[in-house]
Amino acid sequence: MDRRTFFKAGWGAFGLAALVSGVGVSLVAVGRYLMPSVFYEPPQAFKIGTPGDFAFGAPSFLVDQKIYVFRDRDKGFAVASAVCTHLGCTVAHFQSDQKFHCPCHGSIFGADGGVQHGPAPRALDWYEVTLARDGQLRVDKNKVVPPTYRLMV
Amino acid sequence: MNIFREIYQSIVRRDPLSTDKGKTELVFLNVWLHIHPAKVKKEHMKFRHTFYLGFISFFLLLILITTGIALMVYYRPYPAAAYQDMKDLQFVIYMGPFLRGMHRWAAHGMVACVFLHMCRVFYTGSYKKPRQFNWVIGVVLLLLTLGMSFTGYLLPWDQLAYWAITVGTNIGSYAPLVGGMLKEVLLGGHSVGEGALIRFYVLHVAVLPLLVVLFTVVHFWRVRKDGGLSRPVWKLKAPKTAPLVQIGGTAEAVPLAVQAASTEKTYGLMEVVTGKPIFETVTPEEDDDAVFSYPYAFVREGITLMATVTTIMSMAIFLRAPLEELANPAKTPNPAKAPWYFLGLQELVSHSALLGGVVAPALMVIALLVVPYIDRNPSRRPRDRKWAIWLFTAFVVVNLVLIVIGTFFRGPGWALVPPWVHVTGGAE
Ligand code: HEM
Ligand code: FES
Repeated sequence: MDRRTFFKAGWGAFGLAALVSGVGVSLVAVGRYLMPSVFYEPPQAFKIGTPGDFAFGAPSFLVDQKIYVFRDRDKGFAVASAVCTHLGCTVAHFQSDQKFHCPCHGSIFGADGGVQHGPAPRALDWYEVTLARDGQLRVDKNKVVPPTYRLMV
Repeated sequence: MNIFREIYQSIVRRDPLSTDKGKTELVFLNVWLHIHPAKVKKEHMKFRHTFYLGFISFFLLLILITTGIALMVYYRPYPAAAYQDMKDLQFVIYMGPFLRGMHRWAAHGMVACVFLHMCRVFYTGSYKKPRQFNWVIGVVLLLLTLGMSFTGYLLPWDQLAYWAITVGTNIGSYAPLVGGMLKEVLLGGHSVGEGALIRFYVLHVAVLPLLVVLFTVVHFWRVRKDGGLSRPVWKLKAPKTAPLVQIGGTAEAVPLAVQAASTEKTYGLMEVVTGKPIFETVTPEEDDDAVFSYPYAFVREGITLMATVTTIMSMAIFLRAPLEELANPAKTPNPAKAPWYFLGLQELVSHSALLGGVVAPALMVIALLVVPYIDRNPSRRPRDRKWAIWLFTAFVVVNLVLIVIGTFFRGPGWALVPPWVHVTGGAE
């Protein structure tokens, strides 16, 4: 290889590398740009009111947070997610059979949230609920707890 | 009067249409018409060869673009406004329901026609050499068409929209490795909300239409460059064994195979420009079948355009595009159904999200993409390709059956309910 072809090949390789890395970096940047940096969504941990706001027996459904709040006389508070683990429809809790029914593809979850029927791949989530200093109940959706978890008040 | 003549001739630079030269120049001096050949073969324009489905798909695309631009004038893509604007379009705005209806029915029609067009291309074996790659471009167009309707579906921001997209994007999140990220990028959040609405809007009015138009241009260009349309199957003759010519005539002489001139190609002015001596290859019999595109092809295309527009307009007058209640993230309608062309997918998903929602559709798309490369059978005659026809028919039937089950046989809780049983409301 003489000097000339050597330099030609060198410049060619350099150009190609520049092109490839330029395109690559741009693609990564576009991908990163499309990933939101801020989410203007409701917070994952929130207060839902004082224990006295909740009746015994049938669970209360909180619309904005998509959770069911259970209050049992001996066992205390528990909070279940109302979002079906299959494809995200909102499940309905039936008093008649104490189960959660999903309208979209017919999944049924038992009283403990476990899958009993249908395509849902895993049980409904239960979230940690604690008593905040101001006497309100505080739910944290980032903290998934076992279905046996209860807050005694 | 000379000034008018001068103006006219500065715009229209061709000989009068009464002359052959004028007819030719009309096509190839005109930027809009020059995608046509100057002459077409009558057999290509036969209705029972193409059913004009490709043209109809294209004309529906034109209707969608025009009515879509009209709707954009009033539609504001954020949750507080979107549904209200749909209500306004439905009840307040002059011609609102008509425009919405045209857009909606043309969208449904386009999905159907593109699919039927694909079936026509398959059954006539028109994806075979040299048209393999145009089939691949076609599959991309089919996917883009489905993408357009999927993104458009969210925009009314009613219950139907909200839940169809919630289910649809959650299917995507089952994709291995990239699933979660895919959903976040598509929705601009973790659930369907204002981030999702604006992103779907951008895809629906800018990104996807641009891609559809670009790929359509390539698709048309390829039809020309692949030698025009394929011949109708009923014109195909049984393959002859190659004629042999013997030079010299002694018994040991090596026979020379002679390739017959292609009977598959239409030749246009394009080829003349590149300087290939091509007219020699057209046999007199074929020359008889060739006519000037003006008026033969243009009249037929024009009639198809008018029929398409009239049909969509009448549908828009008599059938109102549906609009349900305002999107309510807390209350899932029962049953929550996707648009009809996705109900087959939803039916699969109701059995398994990963297998039915990701694996099966991915396999179907891959199978469609490779069709022209795994079908090595050179013959396009139906009787020579029974296997291919059976397989493809099975593919079509399975899809249709799934759609029919999803549409008519699924009731509240996605339970099997035949359409003749009347269910009032969901349980509780
Ligand atoms: C936006 C969607 C599409 C449009 C607007 C479109 C348009 C057209 C048009 C106008 C033709 C000329 C002949 C005819 O009317 O049949 C054509 C031919 C063709 N199309 Fe499409 N098409 C679309 C999608 C597809 C799809 C989904 C496939 C297959 C997967 C496909 C494969 C082909 C092939 C292979 C040809 C050549 C057929 C032949 O030579 O006989 N196209 N297309
Ligand atoms: S979303 Fe609940 S079963 Fe599919």
